Amino acid sequence: MGFRDGKPKDSPLNNLVFQKITSDRRLELLARWILGVTFVYASFHKIIAPAAFAKIIYGYGLFPGVTVNLIAVVLPFVELISGLALMTGLYPRAASLIIMVLLLSFIAALSINLARGYEFNCGCFSSDDSNSAGSAGLTLARDFVLLFICIHVYRIKPDSGRILSVTNE
Amino acid sequence: MKKTVKEAVYLLLSACIIAVIINVASPVGIAWVGQWNPSEGVVGAKTKNDVDNPRIEINDIDIARQIHERGQTLFVDARTKDAYAEGHVKGAISLPVGEFDLKIDAFSDRYLLDQPIIVYCSGRSCEDGHRLSEKLIDFGYDKIRVMIDGFPGWQAKGFPIE
Repeated sequence: MGFRDGKPKDSPLNNLVFQKITSDRRLELLARWILGVTFVYASFHKIIAPAAFAKIIYGYGLFPGVTVNLIAVVLPFVELISGLALMTGLYPRAASLIIMVLLLSFIAALSINLARGYEFNCGCFSSDDSNSAGSAGLTLARDFVLLFICIHVYRIKPDSGRILSVTNE
Repeated sequence: MKKTVKEAVYLLLSACIIAVIINVASPVGIAWVGQWNPSEGVVGAKTKNDVDNPRIEINDIDIARQIHERGQTLFVDARTKDAYAEGHVKGAISLPVGEFDLKIDAFSDRYLLDQPIIVYCSGRSCEDGHRLSEKLIDFGYDKIRVMIDGFPGWQAKGFPIE
């Protein structure tokens, strides 16, 4: 932020700091976009086929029947809105908080079903039967990577309102 | 932190509002509460174009067995060819719901429209039986029922398979 305040840019120290901030901001933008694109993409098949997604949620065997449809209707839009918010820079920190909670829930659900040897379809990126228990370990690993990126975004406290790009350049 | 939580609530609220509006307006929208109790029939989210038709369901597999014993009803397997090849109700013929358009002409050459038919798939979490029954009814078959416990229910009872 110091550079906007008119500090000289040519001192070696400032150049170092400048580069660090620039690269951090780029990293932040990259992290936000990786998360954002992943979640927007993941929401797509759920939004166009809510009935199939509801069946996948039922297949997890973790949720009471009355909640299955509500989760199937709302969850994809929470993913979509949070993903878009991260990409556009509208409340990015809040979006990363929501996505962190989502990822922790996914990790918990996957772990419970892996631990009890329950056969299920993760339904993460598609509603067909290809993504079954065999790949649950991989899915879990992917969720941990996303969680790591998400914690990074949350910790660097991105400012709201920086739409689509970094400002400190 | 407080500000972040407040913003998160805004995002969640807008997600909920958009979700509700789209679900109500969308032709693929689902009911707010689905049918997820297997003891009440085939499970599903209940969509606007729901194929489940409880009136044609055979809930009690023993009744399906009695009909099978009488030998006048054709059992039709709605599952994939591979699933059929691995095992099916004795005497059943394969008509995978995904290959309906390809196979219906040959099927209708062999079986008249008043042929009593029982369709089945893989049990109460499977909708293919209902999908196939709907296609057959649309084609003109009028004596269609769905054995909702499907092949697993039939096999578990020790009824004849091949």
